[in-house]
Amino acid sequence: MSVDLQKEFGDYSKNLNRASKDTNIETAITRAVKAYRATVADAMERYPHTPDLAAEVRRIKADSIANNDALLRQAMESVERNKGKAFYARDKQQALEIVAEIIGKEKIVVKGKSMLGEELHLREYLEEKGNEVWESDLGEFILQLKNDRPMHILSPAIHVPREQVAEIFSKFFGREVPPDIAQEVAVVRDFLRDKYFNAHVGISSANVVAADTGAMVIIENEGNIRLSTAAPPVHIVVVGIEKIVPTFQESMKVAEVTWRYAQYGVPSYVSIISGPSKTGDIEKVTTYGAHGPKEFYVVFVDNGRTAMAQDELFSQALHCLRCGGCMYECPVFQVTAGNFGHTYLGGIGSIWTVFVSGGLEKAAPLLYTCLRCGRCVERCPMQIDVPAMVAELRNRIINGEEQETGLDSQAS
Amino acid sequence: MAVEMKLPPVLDIIRGNIVKHGNPLALKGAEVASWAKKLNLPAQGEILFYTGGEYQLVPFIDSLVKTMTHMDQGGKGFSLMMGVRNILDKAGINAEKIYASVLAKDKERFNNVCYKAAVVLQQLGYDLCYGGEQELYSGALLYELGYWQDLREYGQKVVQSIKQSGAKTIVCLSPHAAEVFKLVYPKLVNGFQIEVRTFVEMVWEKRDKLPAVKFDDSVVIHDSCRLARELGIDQELRDIMESVGVPVLEPMRSRKWTTCCGGPGKLLFPEISHKIADRRVGELEETGAGVILTSCPYCLAALQGGSREGSGTGVEDLIEFLYRGFAV
Repeated sequence: MSVDLQKEFGDYSKNLNRASKDTNIETAITRAVKAYRATVADAMERYPHTPDLAAEVRRIKADSIANNDALLRQAMESVERNKGKAFYARDKQQALEIVAEIIGKEKIVVKGKSMLGEELHLREYLEEKGNEVWESDLGEFILQLKNDRPMHILSPAIHVPREQVAEIFSKFFGREVPPDIAQEVAVVRDFLRDKYFNAHVGISSANVVAADTGAMVIIENEGNIRLSTAAPPVHIVVVGIEKIVPTFQESMKVAEVTWRYAQYGVPSYVSIISGPSKTGDIEKVTTYGAHGPKEFYVVFVDNGRTAMAQDELFSQALHCLRCGGCMYECPVFQVTAGNFGHTYLGGIGSIWTVFVSGGLEKAAPLLYTCLRCGRCVERCPMQIDVPAMVAELRNRIINGEEQETGLDSQAS
Repeated sequence: MAVEMKLPPVLDIIRGNIVKHGNPLALKGAEVASWAKKLNLPAQGEILFYTGGEYQLVPFIDSLVKTMTHMDQGGKGFSLMMGVRNILDKAGINAEKIYASVLAKDKERFNNVCYKAAVVLQQLGYDLCYGGEQELYSGALLYELGYWQDLREYGQKVVQSIKQSGAKTIVCLSPHAAEVFKLVYPKLVNGFQIEVRTFVEMVWEKRDKLPAVKFDDSVVIHDSCRLARELGIDQELRDIMESVGVPVLEPMRSRKWTTCCGGPGKLLFPEISHKIADRRVGELEETGAGVILTSCPYCLAALQGGSREGSGTGVEDLIEFLYRGFAV
């Protein structure tokens, strides 16, 4: 079997070239890179224990991925013990069906930002099933209206300047919204507030999951996660199995390293959610659904992650905390933004694309875009060796996937 | 099930050129070795001087990329253009015509880098031998582009040609060659047992013997990714400049944080590559230094291509700069 990728390369290349001439992207990314470097440098000075903590988290993540099966079982048991319902989804289709089954039809859904959600095309699927789904993260909300895709994992609308936001909002809200950031934020706040309290379901992901307590740890600044996981009567967490670590204590370490490298300095909110809302205030009788959700579901999604975990070279890609630091330091990303990627972006994104989001063919143009310059490795708190993985995947493109690894451990 | 992927032709052409002609652009051995005529270097000795043909091919890559930029990468014209000798041999068109647009002064400059490197090392007291027309390219691009099976075979030829020198040490001008010999050959190719050094390390060891370079301005060092990150060589460049008495300025990103010159993207994404080079030159020029110094043929070519006409900031290889001290 043979597949001709020349046209893909051609189209992709044209798109990269177009992006590299887009002044919106250039302005936005230049600003973002400068801000990222300054904020992170400042945070490292203020919290000098961070690199040591990152080293500890590298060990935690490596051990967790090596024991993923056992941790998954433990985490699912913990969720059930906490009166939540836990599911394991082998692949994308199964994950979508589980979530759709819980939600049903004609429901209002508010959703937090999640890369896994993008990987699954979760919003689109639920909409097709006849639901009204709202992205509650401001950047994602803008992209939902713009019918566009994220150009950075943390700042998805990094490529859309305020003037364009004003145009999009004016059209959607049917009234003049000026290109003033505070006013733009305010109209979305008013609009979504109504949705939070009328929604039937809130969906979030989680940055870390503690297997021992079943705690979902979610980092955010806007407050949309607080509202969308607390106001609706049902909360569904859709999370990748690679996010599980053994203990609650360790989950806090992973969370701190994540937000530090993700330019949060100190995040406004860290939510720790382990089960449905409950009260025992009347006669010590536990009753569910006090102020928060009565129902709590966690869908653990595999979708290729186990295969990645079992590969000696590629299991390290699962250590990715999604801090996004590598992207700011990537010379290609700096001139093309998320056009260097599909769902997952940049060099690490090309690896993820191979395993969970399209396969080797889809990833081929991305894999050949990486300069293998290695600066992402310097920035990465997990020191993920993207250049080595890219090299091996190019070898698999040329010489076939059967070849497990091209390198002899010892040729001598 | 194996799915064969049909990739842009440039990749297979580069592969074919290396495997069949021992050089990514199928340059003739005589052309690659022409710089050495005046030096009469022996074919055997303790220290093998290794160019890998890399500085020599730089001006040809640029001329090809310049043409390529205007062509659709999937088109027939592109295949023909990148086919170079490999395809031209079959089609019966003279390869020299494709390269005719290469300026003689560019060819001379990059060939001269090899000559200058040999002279600098000799002046520092190293006895060099050189493979001449028999010298083969390291195969770094085979590794880079995914042709590992080819590298396993081709590498054997390279090992044989190196063994003929009887040398104990190989000194590489290009960090890409040093990287592939040092880090990849031990895992892919049997029988490679020679000590691998870079030009920079060899000079650094005898830096106290370097003559001062008369230069009224300061330089800014562009660390090559391979040298700084893969091989861990960055302070050595600063020490060398201190020895020749020239002040060094640092750009906002340097040493292990250095910004890639964009060179690796040149073959498949020339516009992006150029843009990255342009931005890097901007970072380097911000320092106000008189000359941008690097130590890698591809960085040299990329930064030269990214530098603005009339900016006044020159781009030189460390080799060229050090030779100033000997050429007075």
